[in-house]
Amino acid sequence: MERITFWYGCNVLRHGDIIHSCLDILRALGFDAAPAGGPDHCCGTAKDANQTAAGGMATRTVGRFNAMQRDRVVAWCPSCHIHMLEFMARTNDPRFGMTYFVELLHQHRDKLKPLLTHAVPMRIVVHQHLGFEDRVPVNRVVPELLAMIPGVDVVETPYVAPGFTCASFATLPQALGDIHSNTAAAVQSAGADAVVSIFHQCYRELCGLEAAGVTSAYNYVQLIARSMGLAYEDEYKAWKKAGADAADLIGPERLRKVGIEFYERAILPELRKRPAVRN
Amino acid sequence: MGTEGQAAQSSPADRRELIGARLREFEKSEVARILSACTRCGKCFEVCPMTRYSAAPASDGESVVSGVLAVLRGEQGSPEALGWIAVCTRSGTCVPACPDSVDPRMMMRLARMTALGGRGHAAQIAMKEDPDYFNRIRAFAALQLTDEELKDWT
Repeated sequence: MERITFWYGCNVLRHGDIIHSCLDILRALGFDAAPAGGPDHCCGTAKDANQTAAGGMATRTVGRFNAMQRDRVVAWCPSCHIHMLEFMARTNDPRFGMTYFVELLHQHRDKLKPLLTHAVPMRIVVHQHLGFEDRVPVNRVVPELLAMIPGVDVVETPYVAPGFTCASFATLPQALGDIHSNTAAAVQSAGADAVVSIFHQCYRELCGLEAAGVTSAYNYVQLIARSMGLAYEDEYKAWKKAGADAADLIGPERLRKVGIEFYERAILPELRKRPAVRN
Repeated sequence: MGTEGQAAQSSPADRRELIGARLREFEKSEVARILSACTRCGKCFEVCPMTRYSAAPASDGESVVSGVLAVLRGEQGSPEALGWIAVCTRSGTCVPACPDSVDPRMMMRLARMTALGGRGHAAQIAMKEDPDYFNRIRAFAALQLTDEELKDWT
């Protein structure tokens, strides 16, 4: 059994169901996967304005992965994966190889396919971006993986969003609005039941589209997990749809863990935010 | 010798100086390579799907790219160059369009770091810092993972 580090990243911690599903999938495929992520394993890509900090974070994280003594790090987050290849590995001394999660699933698709036993009747379009494709051909491979799920009908769409992921558009509201509107139009013109994201950064945005009543949204791993019979609850989407009432779903015990003041200041505005979609 | 080996043999002050040193050196060498390779043809700008979102739209790719290279040299960039840098979201359409193998995506990433003040020069574009960024991630982790998972996975 190959021992790997599953580097899930930082912001995907909004989606515990995705992390848990990935681990179950990796283990079902025969990998001994040790998860690592969060700010203490940050790649530093968010620190463009402070390269000393970025460099320190990169060295810290590569050192931690070296200490785990596993031959391979399998990355979930596209930003972490590319930052490792472009900067971290070239300026540190990694003693491990890098693979992107989608690549691993595709390499092991013959083993994955028999595990997809539950039908997921759904006509979908895949939300795609231009920027990652030359590193890992996710726009080709993810639809192939989804098409293996009984009941899933993947409809091709000509719309491919600019950029790398939707996260890059946080400070570009006009461009993000165009992505939302074009995505909604693509779903409508395909007669699709749902839009499916490749990256968690986009899924966070697409949950806003579902909360606004524009379209149902999923991440591709959630559909694979459902077909495997895994039943993790998508709490982030439930909270996003509940908006101002999300605290009722989270419950007082968990709210106390993060602090009511912090929840209201730093989390609730994100859950209440809705995308602007032009008709 | 790698960073880890160097750090083990140096004083605390030297170790502080070493933080990010190899990254900064790598970025310096990439900047030198890009400045040497780029012929300012402007093809990267012409194929970029984000230029229309710039606060200072331009039509002349050659002059915009010259402004980007000025930023990389630590000089003041033109409004058009800074506008383009600010809207770069790493679409990568520029990479195959470049006839000189510059890797314009890397050029724009380094220009962004420089313009934000991340490489030791004065900042030329503003970045809204989110003071809650990492604490928000920690909070979501606390909401989504068990105490044992938090201890072992993060």
